[in-house]
Amino acid sequence: MTSSAAAEVVVLGGGLSKFATERPDGTPVDWIVEAAQAALADAGVEPETIEHSVVAYESEIIARQLTMGQVVHDALGLCPRPSVRVEAGGGTGGAALRTAFAYLRAGLCESMLVVGADAVGRQVPSTTVRQVYAMSGDVDFEMAAGGFFTAYYALMMQEHMRRYGTREEQMALVSVKNHRNARFNPMACMPLALTVDDVMKSPPVAAPYKRLDCAVLADGAAAIVLATPRWAREHAGAWRDRARIHYVGAGCGTDRMRLGDRPAPYPGLAHFRAKREAAAMAYAMAGLKDPRRELDVAEVADPYTGVELQSYEDLGFCRYGESGPLTERGVFDLGGELPTNTSGGLIGQGAPPGAMGLAQAIEIVRQLREECPPERQVPNARRGLADIHGGTASFSVVSIFERRD
Amino acid sequence: MPPEPSRSEGRVGAKLRELTATDPLGRLATEDPWSAFRRVEVIDLQLNFRFRHSLGKYSRFFLELEHRRLMATRCPRCGTVWMPPRPACGNDLAITEWVELSGRGTLAAATECAYTLTTGGGAARLVIGYVALDGASTLLLQQIRNYGAARRLVAGLAMRVVWADEPVGHPMELFWFEPAG
Repeated sequence: MTSSAAAEVVVLGGGLSKFATERPDGTPVDWIVEAAQAALADAGVEPETIEHSVVAYESEIIARQLTMGQVVHDALGLCPRPSVRVEAGGGTGGAALRTAFAYLRAGLCESMLVVGADAVGRQVPSTTVRQVYAMSGDVDFEMAAGGFFTAYYALMMQEHMRRYGTREEQMALVSVKNHRNARFNPMACMPLALTVDDVMKSPPVAAPYKRLDCAVLADGAAAIVLATPRWAREHAGAWRDRARIHYVGAGCGTDRMRLGDRPAPYPGLAHFRAKREAAAMAYAMAGLKDPRRELDVAEVADPYTGVELQSYEDLGFCRYGESGPLTERGVFDLGGELPTNTSGGLIGQGAPPGAMGLAQAIEIVRQLREECPPERQVPNARRGLADIHGGTASFSVVSIFERRD
Repeated sequence: MPPEPSRSEGRVGAKLRELTATDPLGRLATEDPWSAFRRVEVIDLQLNFRFRHSLGKYSRFFLELEHRRLMATRCPRCGTVWMPPRPACGNDLAITEWVELSGRGTLAAATECAYTLTTGGGAARLVIGYVALDGASTLLLQQIRNYGAARRLVAGLAMRVVWADEPVGHPMELFWFEPAG
């Protein structure tokens, strides 16, 4: 199959294994099996018909397992068919999606089971998690100086606040929204009814971030079934009986690992150049020119509240500096112009790195199929976006999904 | 290091506890498909990693810190002065040349942290920030000390390097920045 005849890619189903702050009931492999069972059932696909897998997880050290891609593929009963493992920090799930998209478009296979997990909940002492994650940035200079990721994101937001007057109360609104949305998601680990005051009074972590501005590292897994329409017609119950969801755009961008090495004034410390690049690529592929109006629902990276605001801007939902005021106006709330993180996002649903990019896509699929509980269902949603990144967006993936009946 | 967890009684030294895990989805036992697999053992698993870690082509930066010199690298082709240094230019891959910086500069951004890797989650507060050293094209992250009130730490504040007199663990602990005024 040549590039001019690249296959379309459709989403047949998705499933999660519960996101929680501690799951002594299993290992990441166990959770992936659960998520894969749910995804295959949702897709109406028999596991033995799957032609290929993509396995997503961030850290061998935290997983306490090297080559977990092979272990997972084995556990899923997919041997001797081919598999590939991908890793891109917090963007791992997004990278897995885009990898599967590329394999399917290129004709290397016609069906893909994409699975992701991480076990970063309380089974792992917080000092271990922080040390391992600090190694995903600069080890010799910045980690040795005392740097860690919450601090890097805090430095970004300090600059955003200085440049645009963004306020901590505007960030707190993101926490209130995402924790509230999580209340309508049984798979979420942080369903909370909060006020801005609750967030503002939560213990400081790295200024301006406080505990309730931060996503919670969690245990959990996600799985999604992708295919070509031709394969779907032959093998998937979901293709005959359900709304048809197409994966219509996938973009990727990168930036320098150290914030201080990025060009100024753009992106400088305040912006996500990788995300702008990824979004432009995905929008071009999907034919979008005005994303805020052409999208109906979005899952946006929110490891910290300010990151969601910064992301609105580099995804082109608004101009630079407008994200705080638009958040105050409720533009990104359920019932607003572009409901965002209806699942609860990383803040409300939880943040197992290898799973969260896939969980975003599953939420978009549920929204487009109108399968969400009514409290978080966006009416008549036809097109949705998933945005996830690794590092301080040194690697970024944006995916666009569309319902075509 | 976190405190060693308390162990359970019995013949298995690493065993921390046995429990019956609840179904994360809260189903009744009769409806839980994994009900036969909910008895769980949790053990203490400790992995100790140690490395003979070469600082490679960046080493001169760290070695010169012991002589109270801050060394950056300059690209002979595009003129970018990298700090932290890079042996090959991040713009055009040209091999760079070492240049010494004065140790004076301005603050770009700072954050007060409630914990760091070095405090292990303890109460010690620490400020880290990006400093634009005079002559550098990029920003260097380092600890900021003796700053008085944190509200003083605004972008543009003049900063200077200060050197440690006492022995340190890692070379990056040989210096920090303070307001110059």
